[in-house]
Amino acid sequence: MKRRDFVRASAVAASSPFLGVDVVAETLSRTRVSPSDQVNLGVIGAGSRGKHMMRVFLRVPGVRVTALCDVYEPRFRESRQISGENTPTFVDYRRMLDASDDLDAVIVATPLSFHGEHMVASLERGLNVYGEKAMGFTVKDCDAIVAAAQASPGRFQTGLQYRYAPWYRQAIDRIRAGEIGRVTHVYGYWHRNYNWRRPVPEPSLERLINWRLYREYSGGLLAELGSHQIDVANWIFGEMPESVVGAGAVTFYPDGRETFDNVQAIFTYPSGGTHVFSSVIGNHKVGYQVNIYGTGGTIELTLEDGAFYYEPARANSAVPLELIEAGAHTSATLATRGDMPYRGPGLPIDVPEGEMGSPDLFAAAAFVESIRTDTRPFADEEVGRASAVAVALGNQATRGRERVDFPHGLEDTEGPS
Amino acid sequence: MAQPRWEPVTFPLPIPSLRAVALLVPVLQGGPQTRLVSPPPDSVYQQVRPAMGTIAEITLFARNKHRAAELMEAAFGEIERVEASLSSYRAGSELNRLNQHAAHSPVTTDPEMFGLIERALDFSEMTQGAFDVTVGPLLKAWGFFGGAGHTPLAEELRAAREASGWKGVTLSPGDRSVQFLKPGLELDFGGMGKGWALDRAAAVLKDLGVDAALLGLGKSSYYAIGRPPEKPGWLVVIPDPNDPEEPLSCVYLEDGALSTSGSAERSFELDGQRYSHIIDPRTGQPSIGVIQVTVTAKTTTESDVYSTAIFVLGPDEAKNSLNDADGVSALLVMEEDRASPTVITLEWPERDAHPILIGGFGGCPGPSGI
Repeated sequence: MKRRDFVRASAVAASSPFLGVDVVAETLSRTRVSPSDQVNLGVIGAGSRGKHMMRVFLRVPGVRVTALCDVYEPRFRESRQISGENTPTFVDYRRMLDASDDLDAVIVATPLSFHGEHMVASLERGLNVYGEKAMGFTVKDCDAIVAAAQASPGRFQTGLQYRYAPWYRQAIDRIRAGEIGRVTHVYGYWHRNYNWRRPVPEPSLERLINWRLYREYSGGLLAELGSHQIDVANWIFGEMPESVVGAGAVTFYPDGRETFDNVQAIFTYPSGGTHVFSSVIGNHKVGYQVNIYGTGGTIELTLEDGAFYYEPARANSAVPLELIEAGAHTSATLATRGDMPYRGPGLPIDVPEGEMGSPDLFAAAAFVESIRTDTRPFADEEVGRASAVAVALGNQATRGRERVDFPHGLEDTEGPS
Repeated sequence: MAQPRWEPVTFPLPIPSLRAVALLVPVLQGGPQTRLVSPPPDSVYQQVRPAMGTIAEITLFARNKHRAAELMEAAFGEIERVEASLSSYRAGSELNRLNQHAAHSPVTTDPEMFGLIERALDFSEMTQGAFDVTVGPLLKAWGFFGGAGHTPLAEELRAAREASGWKGVTLSPGDRSVQFLKPGLELDFGGMGKGWALDRAAAVLKDLGVDAALLGLGKSSYYAIGRPPEKPGWLVVIPDPNDPEEPLSCVYLEDGALSTSGSAERSFELDGQRYSHIIDPRTGQPSIGVIQVTVTAKTTTESDVYSTAIFVLGPDEAKNSLNDADGVSALLVMEEDRASPTVITLEWPERDAHPILIGGFGGCPGPSGI
């Protein structure tokens, strides 16, 4: 399609500031896609994430991958297995952008330090951009991407796909309704147990393949993993942090890597909220979790589900009147004993049948629908910037072992809720 | 400063286990003289992880533990990627999305999933329905889907037969859409997904330069890349289903796959009849007559599919319908007499070929005898 030649005002788009799960379901179930709604994607950076997102986007009816770009040519064979044998390939993204008149959008999945260059160039050509997280490497990068997105007829969506996960959305809605009281703390974890290295065919390719381990290109664990939890905390508190302190080290794998394999950062929010993030790659017991602590309860979110845990009723468990009107809902007892940790089950977040699905797929479908209807994505450039700036300043804090205050002038970035 | 402690996630294998279904022996290549000019020989590493509802094992040769850990991560990562798409247990899997929606309207899917369904339907055609990717409702009716098995009520069985059948799946290559022609139909990759995951993981390892590895899932599916140094292949021991401690046959696998269907543990008895957990999709009844099938093929996807299909078809029908199957050979153990099982082979290679049968049935080499 050549989208902006058309005026679109679908009823759904007009009534909703962002595209919800219901619209995504419609996008995914389309059986006929007119040529004008066909979306042609280019991929800049066809590594593991780029290939994954190609597969995901190809599950959306009416999407084709029509151009591939990577500086590492062996990627082309693997990517063409996904996109088709004849997909044009480019080593230089500028040549891809010059040569591909038919592109509607690009996926940018390059090493973090190149995001700014690739995303800004694509937006300047009027293309829609699905930009992998973290959005930018530096605060300056992030500002440049935001400026380019706002000047471009193209739309920008950041690759923070949990914004589209049904169980995350439900958790946020129920937090807003006061179900776990006043939320004061988010504890985000992403712990793994392996060296975070990719095999390298020959030593000269080390920095290219293992770019995540080198500060010239990478924000390390805080960027590659923590950007999701940081975004969820931003979403919950409805604002950006105002300061961060941190610690980190190369603890497990002193193999020449420069990014820490053990990182903790504490973000403080203007309204008093705190986000404690930890990423360690020497023990994986806690895996990925976002624990959201409120005066009336706790929510635990994972990559695939979520659960609520309620505090025993106390004077500080202020809840809105609506909950009383909704009545009591009986369940297994969720009481704790003294200061022993609660080890029983929670109440799972129940996603209605048919609405469950992969966050990546929902994010991809929503992006395609944003292009077709010329609608602002929910995870837009402001959402991307808020997370990426916190990553950049978090890294400054952990590496310098100092407290870093966020510069004034960074606007609040709560997405529509 | 304290010396940082390495926490290896991959362990060199000191001594292989004789009684493991797959076993191997580390062999150092090159004598003292060659060692002066050659890099040190690769060591063998093994890692086991839970995957696809069972255990995945990878054994490979690598120059050191760090390289081994990276290779393991890449291979297990690929298995995990395939599982995330094909699993019926994961709410967000692509398979579950198709199963939820494809009976209502066509669902566009990614090229890999589309290609797998295409192949599954081809296999159904080639095996005259003995392999059927829509067998799920029948497995559920018989309580084989994570359960011990029970006889379904007539009504349950009728409904399950109604809901299954590979001809109820239509594919449109133009938009890569999948549609089910009847409600209740669902795809289940239980008979093929492990094979595909191993084939993909093996492709990843080969791309990374690995030239000797054995990959296995659930002890029932194996793929061998190359062979251990100075060995004729990766030794896989096929147990006697009536006495799993005793080997029935041994195979050296090299750049090939092996799958086994059926075993003494996965069956139930009713009125003196032993029922396997393998359903004949054509009748809706558990398959009887065969108690174990081992198949070797070029890919694990094929060996998985054909081990199930041959189990269902039995030796006579299998012979006829597998004429088109390239490079597939099979070893069947029949129910007839438990004391001395009847073993039937189809295209099972002769001695000295790959794979080879050693010493007839019953004699397999031990670690010192290879």
